[in-house]
Formats: sequence, C-alpha cells, structure tokens
Amino acid sequence: MMKQLLFIGFTLFSAAFVNAQDCEAIVRNCETLLNKDTKGSQFISDGQVYTAFLDREKAEFKTTFFGGSTYRIAASAGANEDYVIFTIKDLQGNILFSNKNYKNAPYWDFKVNQTLPVTIQTELDLDLKVTGCVVMMIGFKK
Amino acid sequence: MKTKISTTFLIGIFSISLLSSCNSGGSEENKIDEEVFDPNSSLNTMFDGKIFSIPSPVQTAFLIKQLNLSFDETILNDDAKVGEYITEYNQALNLGIYGTDLGYCALYNQKKASLKYLSTVEKLTTQLGLDAAFDTSFISRFEKNSDNEDSTILLMADAFKESDNFLKNANRKSTSALILTGGWIESIYIACELHTKKASPEIKTRIGEQKQSLSSIIDLLNTYNKSGSNDKLIAQLEDLRLSFDKIDFQYEYAAPETDKDSKLTVFNHTLVVSFEETVMKEIKTKLTAIRVSITKA
Repeated sequence: MMKQLLFIGFTLFSAAFVNAQDCEAIVRNCETLLNKDTKGSQFISDGQVYTAFLDREKAEFKTTFFGGSTYRIAASAGANEDYVIFTIKDLQGNILFSNKNYKNAPYWDFKVNQTLPVTIQTELDLDLKVTGCVVMMIGFKK
Repeated sequence: MKTKISTTFLIGIFSISLLSSCNSGGSEENKIDEEVFDPNSSLNTMFDGKIFSIPSPVQTAFLIKQLNLSFDETILNDDAKVGEYITEYNQALNLGIYGTDLGYCALYNQKKASLKYLSTVEKLTTQLGLDAAFDTSFISRFEKNSDNEDSTILLMADAFKESDNFLKNANRKSTSALILTGGWIESIYIACELHTKKASPEIKTRIGEQKQSLSSIIDLLNTYNKSGSNDKLIAQLEDLRLSFDKIDFQYEYAAPETDKDSKLTVFNHTLVVSFEETVMKEIKTKLTAIRVSITKA
C-alpha cells in the first residue's frame, strides 16, 4: 500500500512537473513574440510575466499605458499562435481593441499619445483550446 | 505482486494522463460543453484570484530623461546600506528600489554609478536566490554594455522579468510583489524629488497618472500578505491613496484607429489629469515617509 501511495505521489508530481514545463515553453514562445518583426528599437519588457492557468475562464487585470510610448502586448498558449483572445477596454467599458477581429493575432502594437488606464481581458479561444496555461507579456518603447 | 504493480502502474499512468490533459493543446475536435458559451456561466471567473500589472519604473525614468532633467545621484538609496537588509521582506523591497536606481543610472549612461548599483542588485538577488536571472553572464554582459544605455536597460528589464517568472513558478509571489512595490515607490520618489528641485508639469502629471497603479499595488500586497507582514506598508499606502483620490481624471473617449497590416492601433482619446500643488506636496511627504521606512532597514 505504501509503495502504491509513493508511486501515485511520484506520478502526480511528475505530471505537475510536465505541466510546469509546458507553461515554461509558453513563456519562451511569448518572449519571442514580444520582439517579433519589430521595426527600429526593441520593446522593453515591463519586468512581469502574466501567467494564468485558464479552464474555460477569463483572466482580467488593470494596467496603465503611459503617454508618449508605443506598447506591445504578446500572448501565447501553446505552439499555435492563435489560441489566445485579448481585449482592451477603457474604464468606461468601451472596447478599444480585440485581437479576435484580427484572426487572434498573437501580438499587437499600440501607440499611446496620452496616458490611458485600461482593463485587459484574456481568454482562450474555446473553439481551439479549452484549458491550459496562458502567458502574456507587455513591452514598451519610446 | 505482479498484479499489484500493474494496478499501481495503471493508476499512475491514468493520473499522468488526467493531469497532462488539463494542460494539453486542444484541437478543433474538442467537444465543448454548452455551459462554456453562456456568458453568465459561473465558469467565467479568474484563476488564482487576480492578475496584477505594475508599471515598469523605467518608464518614469524615460520621461525624466526626455525632459532633459540633469542626473542627481544624491537622491538614490545609499548603496552602502545593502548589507543592512537582512530579512527577505527588506531584501525584496530594497531590490526593487536599487533596481530602479540602477535603471536611472543606466539611462543617464552613468557608468560608475551603474556598476555600483549593479553590485547592490547582485548582492540582493544572490541572497534572495535569484541567481538564475542575475547570473554571471548577465553581470558580464551588463558590464560590457555599460556604455550603451539601450542595451543595459534591455538587459536589466529582461533579468527582472526572468526573476518575476522564477518567483511566480516557485510560488514566491509575495517576494515578487515586494520587488515590484519597491521599484514603483522608488520611481515615484525620484519623480517627486526632481519635481521639488525644478517644478515640471510633465513630471507632476506623470505622478498623478499613477492613481490606478497605486490601487493595483495595494491589491497585490493584500493578496500576498504572508502572516500580515505587509500590514504596515498597506496602511501607509492606503493613506497615500487618500491623497491620490484628490486627483481629477477627465477622460473623453475617441475611437482608436487600427492598421491591420502593420498590426498597430493608435489611441485617440483625451485624458486631462489635474490636481493642486498642495496635493502634490502631500503625496511627496507621504511617499518619502514610506520610502524612509523601507530603506532604513
């Protein structure tokens, strides 16, 4: 019985490790997207890795885009580039952008002339993937 | 015995399959429950409570440099104090502070000061077990590129991103939260100090624009408040929020313009941030007191 428990414990640990590695691979995908096809100077990471394990859920967070910068949002949930839908809303709830209108593009740039507090909503495109690790990164440049 | 092992083996394989399936890439053949399509479904909730976004301290430093304000090393935290930060709590907060100081020095191409603050960052990251992100390769690349501010800023931002990822994976989100908080506090402190020395409407506006970021920081510290260790800092920041609440935001929506070929959207809204100079002074006084309580060790 003890051996059984140990074995099950080991396999559960292994599975969790496999999942963590999956998530780590997605982080690397997202890093590549953060500076894919950049013209001129590179995007500087805001120093954070936004990770969520979504199971038919939506993750939402608030951030501020400061005036005078161009931002890039990159998102990944696996090898295919179109798993993630991200939507940007202003604080009045107006939808300013959704990559859903652009074939779930994995990254998009935003020119910000005046500062803008926003809400960013992230979800998996449920037609393509129902559950899994979603990683988002935000970069900026002058 | 054979049967026992086979059963255990099968349970193990089943466990792996079950857990791995939770994270595997889906396919178009996925059968999706009707409930998923219901926007009011209780399934549409957030994972792990919340996600937080704290602005990079480098952004405020960029603005400061754009305004041609001269470099002032005297406002930075004394590097000699690095050895006084003993607890993980103090080390994490002050890593954020020194990291911002390093970014400020690097942006102004201050080689000597940059290397000094690089050393403090190296010491604290070692103590916090973040050697993987701030390893010898990072240190040597930083030193080699210390004449090139663009490269050093990129290297530094990437190293802080790596450490954020490492801490989140290692379930040390409270440490990550403290580093981000320290970084934010120092960037606003530097902005306040420079505004006091030479009043600048742009700097003042940028400070006022931090209203939402302050709320995110308070939420972040509340979420990862191990045994109430953040209680004092949260109370101080809540008091600071009372001053930020006096700042008026006048926002007017305008439809953004999108160019799908260049994958670029331009935001066309207007935002006017206004507040009295007395509120500015109140913010500076409160923020300085918070920063003193963090840096005194």
